[in-house]
Amino acid sequence: MGGDSGNRISVEELSFTYPGAAREALSGINLFFEQGEFCAILGRNGSGKSTLARCLNAILAPSGGKVTSCGLDTRDQGGSLEIKKRIAMVFEDPDTQIVGTTVEEEVAFGPENLRLSTDVIRERVDSSLELTGIREFIGRQPSRLSEGQKQLVAIAGALAMEPAFLVSDESTSMLDTNARQRILELFLSLKEKGMGIIHVTHFLEEAAMSDRVVVLDNGRVRAEGAPGDVLYDPVKVSEMGLDPLPVTIVAREMSAMGYPPPGPVLTVEELLACIRA
Amino acid sequence: MHPRLTLENVSYSYPLPGRGEVPALSGISLRVEPAEILCIGGANGSGKSTLAQVCAGLLMPSSGSVRYQDKRVERHKDLLELRRKVGLLFQSPEDQLFADTVEKDISFGPRNHGLRGADLEARVRRAAELFDLSLEELGARSPFSLSGGEKRRVALAGVIALDPEVLVLDEPFIGMDFDSRQHMKALLGRLRDTSGTSIVIITHELSSSWSLADRYALLAGGRLESLQNRSELVCNEADLSALGLRLPQWGLLANRLEKMGIVVLDPADPLALARAVCSIGEAGDDR
Amino acid sequence: MIGKDITIGQYLAKPTALHRLDPRLKVIAILAGASVIFLYGSGWGLLAFTGMLVLVLVLARMPLWPLLKSLRTVWVIILITALLQFFLTPGKVVLSWGFLTVTDTGLYNGLIFSSRVVILVLLLAALVMTTAPLALADALASLLSPLRHLKVPVGHVITVTSITLMFIPNILEVSRKVMRAQMARGADFESWNVFRRVRDIVPVLVPLFVKVFHDAEELALAMDVRAYPENGIRSRLYPPRIGALEIVLTLGFMSIAVGLIFVF
Repeated sequence: MGGDSGNRISVEELSFTYPGAAREALSGINLFFEQGEFCAILGRNGSGKSTLARCLNAILAPSGGKVTSCGLDTRDQGGSLEIKKRIAMVFEDPDTQIVGTTVEEEVAFGPENLRLSTDVIRERVDSSLELTGIREFIGRQPSRLSEGQKQLVAIAGALAMEPAFLVSDESTSMLDTNARQRILELFLSLKEKGMGIIHVTHFLEEAAMSDRVVVLDNGRVRAEGAPGDVLYDPVKVSEMGLDPLPVTIVAREMSAMGYPPPGPVLTVEELLACIRA
Repeated sequence: MHPRLTLENVSYSYPLPGRGEVPALSGISLRVEPAEILCIGGANGSGKSTLAQVCAGLLMPSSGSVRYQDKRVERHKDLLELRRKVGLLFQSPEDQLFADTVEKDISFGPRNHGLRGADLEARVRRAAELFDLSLEELGARSPFSLSGGEKRRVALAGVIALDPEVLVLDEPFIGMDFDSRQHMKALLGRLRDTSGTSIVIITHELSSSWSLADRYALLAGGRLESLQNRSELVCNEADLSALGLRLPQWGLLANRLEKMGIVVLDPADPLALARAVCSIGEAGDDR
Repeated sequence: MIGKDITIGQYLAKPTALHRLDPRLKVIAILAGASVIFLYGSGWGLLAFTGMLVLVLVLARMPLWPLLKSLRTVWVIILITALLQFFLTPGKVVLSWGFLTVTDTGLYNGLIFSSRVVILVLLLAALVMTTAPLALADALASLLSPLRHLKVPVGHVITVTSITLMFIPNILEVSRKVMRAQMARGADFESWNVFRRVRDIVPVLVPLFVKVFHDAEELALAMDVRAYPENGIRSRLYPPRIGALEIVLTLGFMSIAVGLIFVF
């Protein structure tokens, strides 16, 4: 994997206001992101989660505070190429991020921009397609693929930069359940290989699969911690503008009936497991 | 009492210049009753968008028939009439906003169908109110100056302003957060209960309409595979998987309970599910 | 997905001989051909040139039908300009209709002008259909790079051109979607009433522009995030080769073209 171990992204007192906007999109954000960790960022529409994602790879420069990505200050123009190499990003709409007319051309786009030699580009294209499990798509036209397959192509394109971190800005929002599952499994396998995954989403089942959850509300960090700790209470979750997991609602009813589950449960298996125990 | 919309053996193929035709729907037979919420579940590529357009009179079937209250839709004139009676909302409806002001945008639909003056104003006002849009505050503003959620509500109001008897919604909940979704569900329920509107929700995500829909029709490869209610869906989880669909957590829980021999009458009711889960614990204690 | 196979002004995935040709050569050939046509082309020269063009395309196994379809989008403009020429150019009167008169010079000029536009459109369509947008952008970057020394902001031109090219299919797709949404609200694009049709264009154009600009911004961002360089100079997985054969063919084409124009 690209980048040295110990690469991290640190966000210190970050605030951001869009030009011409009345209120701050982000204020007083303090966070760390490590390689080898899958972090989910949740929040209602307008909470600032996309804005935060774009501050991490220097698309947006902080209005206040500081973001240090892999040792580089994002306000520093000179470091922007390095940051793009270390922190890759995929976006929500599969159709507006693909530039190639074949999958191969698409995945080669990044390395070509870095002016790498033909051999190295070839290597990177092959290994990215391997990592995302879409080797057989190599000669196909992206416009003929399904939305989920397109996103896999987009991710392969991002991986070809050999980044230390992959930031997903709601890359699963437009996909159907099976496609989302595939992407999540890919994220998990990339994390196992040492990549840092930062996944902005509004699907709590996806956040439930992460190592750490950050919830934004009104531009501030409202909650942070392990998914079980942050998402177990449906009342708190809906207050933050999120869709509580049905299992947590059932668990709450069970507590009211005098049978509280012994610990936080987020999935059906967990719920049934603690009853049988 | 006639069903509002009846599709009989409807097939549709897209003409592709130089490559013949691509079939999108085959042999679809479906009825939409008054005052019901029907969910058509289909993965991407199942033909759901095409079905939505046929129901709303945007496409004339290649074969088979479409009837509105037992009157067959045959000529172009009938299609236009169908478009008024069946409102259709596409994914990302805010992409259709175009007018200078919110009020003008909402009035586009009814105006196209000949409404003018006081009648038009009243219709626009009612549609805006249904979606909690204050015409005093927002009526004269440009739709492009609104927030994402407000834009969507203006688009919805624009379709409701047609006063349709059937409302077809193609993935209406995509990109919506919790509050907006709850709001929308409450609204759709109200439309069904007070105006008797038939609502057809076309989606791949069964969770958003889980507590709302009365019936579920499952679409795959252009065919209607089955018509079920919630309890039946719960028992047929494997079939859903094969169609590229998933039960929401509610349904999954009910399914597991059912496998253990515990039947939950209403798999959308948290209390019923909680009681059912607790009963396993009790049964366990007795042993 | 269904319906996304539009070939009007869009890259055609079938490999033809022209696909393999270095896009820089194609651009140069077309620019040369186009300038000669517009400056000097007239009468039989144009006809001869068109004949030769068709021959080249057929030899390269280029499907002609998609090319002809690309004319659909511009025929209105061509017709209007031609008519203006017919009626407004002074000369010997050939036809008369009330207060409208058609002169012989007008007729000739109108036809010449239309033919030039038609040939130009066909050349551009052939270019766009046989060259992937990214490859075209690279060709432009390469050809325009000398201008950099003259402090011309070449980078922006290249990025904008490449995004525009990549957007042709997107524009068509978005306009289809918007039209459908407006049809569902009672807009009638098949109406016999011309005024109705024109009036109903606005509800399509506005959201179309908004969405296309928004999508273009997103595409630009996606390119930026993967370090697309401002000057457009990149390396390539399949570097285009300019071999002797290609140069000979291109020069040959250009000389014949120019020759035909001047001879006739």
